Amino acid sequence: MSLPNKLQEMIDDIASMSREEKIETLIAYAESFPDLPERFKTEKEKMEPVPECMTPVFLIAEKDSNDKITFYFDIPKESPTVRGLASILLYGLHGCTLEEILSVPADFYLAMKLHEAVSQQRINGFVGVLSHMKQAAVKA
Amino acid sequence: MLTAFYINNYVILSHALALSGEESQDNRRDPSLGLDTDFVLLDQPLRVTQEKHKKEKYIMSYARPEYLVDTEWVAQNLKNPDIRIIESDEDPLLYAMGHIEGAVQVDWFSTLQHPLRRDFLTKEKFEEVASNLGITNDTTVVFYGDKSNWFAAYALWLFQYYGHQNVKIMNGGRLKWEQEKRPFVKDVPAYPKTTYQAKEADKSIRAFRDDVFKQIESKQPLVDVRSPKEYSGELTHMPNYPQEGATRGGHIPTAVSIPWAQAVNEADATFKSADELRALYEGKNIKPDGEVIAYCRIGERSSLTWFVLKYLLGYEKVKNYDGSWTEWGNLVDAPIEK
Repeated sequence: MSLPNKLQEMIDDIASMSREEKIETLIAYAESFPDLPERFKTEKEKMEPVPECMTPVFLIAEKDSNDKITFYFDIPKESPTVRGLASILLYGLHGCTLEEILSVPADFYLAMKLHEAVSQQRINGFVGVLSHMKQAAVKA
Repeated sequence: MLTAFYINNYVILSHALALSGEESQDNRRDPSLGLDTDFVLLDQPLRVTQEKHKKEKYIMSYARPEYLVDTEWVAQNLKNPDIRIIESDEDPLLYAMGHIEGAVQVDWFSTLQHPLRRDFLTKEKFEEVASNLGITNDTTVVFYGDKSNWFAAYALWLFQYYGHQNVKIMNGGRLKWEQEKRPFVKDVPAYPKTTYQAKEADKSIRAFRDDVFKQIESKQPLVDVRSPKEYSGELTHMPNYPQEGATRGGHIPTAVSIPWAQAVNEADATFKSADELRALYEGKNIKPDGEVIAYCRIGERSSLTWFVLKYLLGYEKVKNYDGSWTEWGNLVDAPIEK
């Protein structure tokens, strides 16, 4: 099964970038990373923690009446790399259905050659984010 | 300003100033005044604030205070050509988001590691890095970073490994600089290349696995700076961090558990006082005159402990074992305790 279109586009885009462009892109994503909406701030216990990440990362998913899923993240601004990487999944999977989200394989990131820009530990954390997004999507 | 008034040749100071490290032999207390005061014989009126005295006392109480500077010192030295400020973070994108004016970046992963082997960059490559950052052999290099200067200490340790003498850490790192609302800029400075000559690697500060075996045999201590659950073997990686591939859990025999973060104040990322640090390590039988090896998972957290033991407490024989648990926990035939 192919990846959701938006995610595939982002992966192709990043795959074509030089190391410097990858870093610049992650910085741009990190700077524009959306804050957690107020309504979730008092409901942290409902959010899914991502223990694989190097920083406290929480996420939650909501399903609309058309079964499309939206994710919300809480990632501290002191962790721009995590914000930048999470953006790829946040935008790439925005508005997907549960089936589309669950179909994303754990090695989806390989083509992006992220290891040119970030350490393997970061990539492990990034894969952790996907698995917790899937869990949150199931609960949504 | 400190409240001070003069009686004859004496300045009467609030008692706090007696902690300033400038107590003279003339100090004595005059009960007739009914005040908790000290007399200090001085020729000139004091023009220092109580706050500054406290701060100086704080840094001066460490064994090698020249290895630590405060944020104000850095702010006063931004344009000093003899000083290079280096940011070294756990999250390498932080520098690009904003850094101290004039500061350059080294990244523990992309700058300081060997591209192929599990090792640090070579001496030649280190010379190239230093040259590109405009560092000469005489430059004073001041390190700061995120996460309580954990990776700043790692970079400092590596600079010392290749023989760079004049190194300092900015106490409190990024967090304190930010808390004090000091500016961060995005401009990346460029400095003229230098000719830099590194020394041969200083193995007296780096432990290899054979050193660890000797340490165990001679019943000398190691300091395990990982979390208590990593020490006990319940986890093979940091809580909240990805698994990095140690096949066994536990700790090295003769190692005591002193998590690295106990050496810093969580509120502003500064180091704890000399007295607190002494109590922390000596309380666990890590003595200044013995040989000590610090380790963690890949040698980054333990480089902060190495810095604390070596320079804040003045231990002579302390090494950082960068192979750490990701080597020991995979090493065939190596003894492990749980």
